Amino acid sequence: MKKVKIALMALILALLVAFPLFDSNLYHQQLMNQVFVNIIVVMGLNFITGLTGQMNLGTAGIFALGAYGSALTCTKLGTPVWLGFPIAIVIGFLIGRGLGYPSLRVKGVYLSLTTIGFSEVVRLILTNAIDFTGGSQGVQNIPFLNLFGFEFNTPFKIYYLYFALTIIMAIAAARIVSSKWGRVFKAIRDNSDAVEACGIDVANLKILAFTMAAVYGCIGGFLYTHMMGYINPTAFNQDLSVNYLVMMMIGGIGSVAGNILGAVMVTLLPEILRFMQNYYWLIFSIITLIFAVFLPYGIVSLFKKSERQERHFDIFHSIKKAREIWGGRIAK
Amino acid sequence: MKKTMLESVLQLIVSGVAMGFIYALVGIEYTLVWNSTGLLNFSHDKFIMLSAYIFAGTFVIRMGLPPALGVLASLLVMFLFGVLVAVGIFNPLRSMASPIFAVMGTVVLGRIISELVRLIWGPIPFTLPNYLTGTYQIGNIIIGRVNVWIIVISSLLVASLQIFFKTTKTGKAMRCVQQNKKAATLMGIDVSKNIVFTIVLSSLVCTVIGMLVIPLFTVDTAMANMIGLKGFSSGVIGGFGYLPGVIAGGVFLGVLENFSTIVLPAVYKDCVGFVLMIIFLLVRPSGILGHRKNLR
Repeated sequence: MKKVKIALMALILALLVAFPLFDSNLYHQQLMNQVFVNIIVVMGLNFITGLTGQMNLGTAGIFALGAYGSALTCTKLGTPVWLGFPIAIVIGFLIGRGLGYPSLRVKGVYLSLTTIGFSEVVRLILTNAIDFTGGSQGVQNIPFLNLFGFEFNTPFKIYYLYFALTIIMAIAAARIVSSKWGRVFKAIRDNSDAVEACGIDVANLKILAFTMAAVYGCIGGFLYTHMMGYINPTAFNQDLSVNYLVMMMIGGIGSVAGNILGAVMVTLLPEILRFMQNYYWLIFSIITLIFAVFLPYGIVSLFKKSERQERHFDIFHSIKKAREIWGGRIAK
Repeated sequence: MKKTMLESVLQLIVSGVAMGFIYALVGIEYTLVWNSTGLLNFSHDKFIMLSAYIFAGTFVIRMGLPPALGVLASLLVMFLFGVLVAVGIFNPLRSMASPIFAVMGTVVLGRIISELVRLIWGPIPFTLPNYLTGTYQIGNIIIGRVNVWIIVISSLLVASLQIFFKTTKTGKAMRCVQQNKKAATLMGIDVSKNIVFTIVLSSLVCTVIGMLVIPLFTVDTAMANMIGLKGFSSGVIGGFGYLPGVIAGGVFLGVLENFSTIVLPAVYKDCVGFVLMIIFLLVRPSGILGHRKNLR
């Protein structure tokens, strides 16, 4: 089984490496770069929402601050482009601390309201602080990333850079998920009182989860900025936050493989459904809703068979349960 | 006609109160759903938008009905829509393992609604001419006709909702369900039916809001986003899940927003609600009226 897994992963990696060599369509390559950015952001969101079980609907705000932070420093101050990377990390760290603190006091849907509020405030400030951020015009002429004089200025070149970065970040995320931290995060999701009773500092760990999520989100924003070369605040709206949540849910909540799968599917599916023209976004939303009701733990739950939540994961069980609910026989 | 200081302040208060009542209505509408199902309906702004489209787009403009008939027809349509959504989506969602899934479900429902609206009525925003326009003048204070309607109708609605909850059997059953679903089931209350009823009620309130705010915004798919979010804020500011608190919070927010334009640039008016909500959640989660047991 493990050999099959490794062979499968190697095959997928080989296909991904070879992809831009066979497909020279710039749009497709750009789309794949977008997929990589999304994977990174979703893996971050997974730390808060997937593992620690805290609802974050403000991903757009985190992403936007990462993107603007890097874009503004290198266009206004003329600093080297790579400096954006540590800047994104610092911004992410600060946001994570700032958002993590409220998460200690408010839980569940209240936290989702707080994070919505946060991302709306960010968006309004970005739109209205015209002198500083360029207002709705956005920031233009953002330089591409470069390395020793080599400029990553085409989707083809960016593809390999982002591919490598995504792999590094994914390995890091997978290590964190299966580490002591990851297990404690999951424990907090399941029962935070019990964790506290074990003598573990829940407060610190919650803030840690937020910090890591925000750092991942800001790095995603940084990569997005230097891929697009142009950003404006309209892109960072509530829809974006929801999209990231959808990616996480469709792929599989709490698992890095699921996050990657979800990001790939949700970024590419609308493009595949585009032949339906006007109806594609509607069909896509309906597919998402069906997923939310029937397969809440995502696609990866079809492949796993051993964990505790298995019975929830099982699609047949989900359908049976949904039928019961629709039949009105369960009154909780 | 130069206004005195006092008159300017009064003018700000009057228009603030009118807007505040809209926030309060939105807040009440989702408080209903929260109380009975324990779900936040993140698609409620889309409900408002949908009802505005049904009323203005279909009944008044396309079919040329007089507004009074249009009101009845839209209430009927939204009633059916409420039943459909409650049975098809809210009842399954409420028994999900984690609230995250339910939030997802309602958010995606909102997307489907706005997509349907775009397909049915087209992407171009429109307005409804000669509907609740005009102003009244009292002394030097000007108040729009729509604002008067908003204040009158929402006060009536709030009062009748309170009477409904306090006196009728259904209303009492709904309050029981809010407090403890299991105990309510044991007492012979049909929880599922109750939830369907609540969602329908909330979609009717949404219809009223949608019809009242048409003169304030142009009718387009994003028209209710801001008031939807501010309804949440006013709920939090006033005290979550407590109707009088929500009204107080809404009016407070509306007035404060108007006064903030004195010290802040007008474009930051929309930030006030969110900042205030975050502060309240952190410092005083029970809201201004202080009615709140515990945070879930």
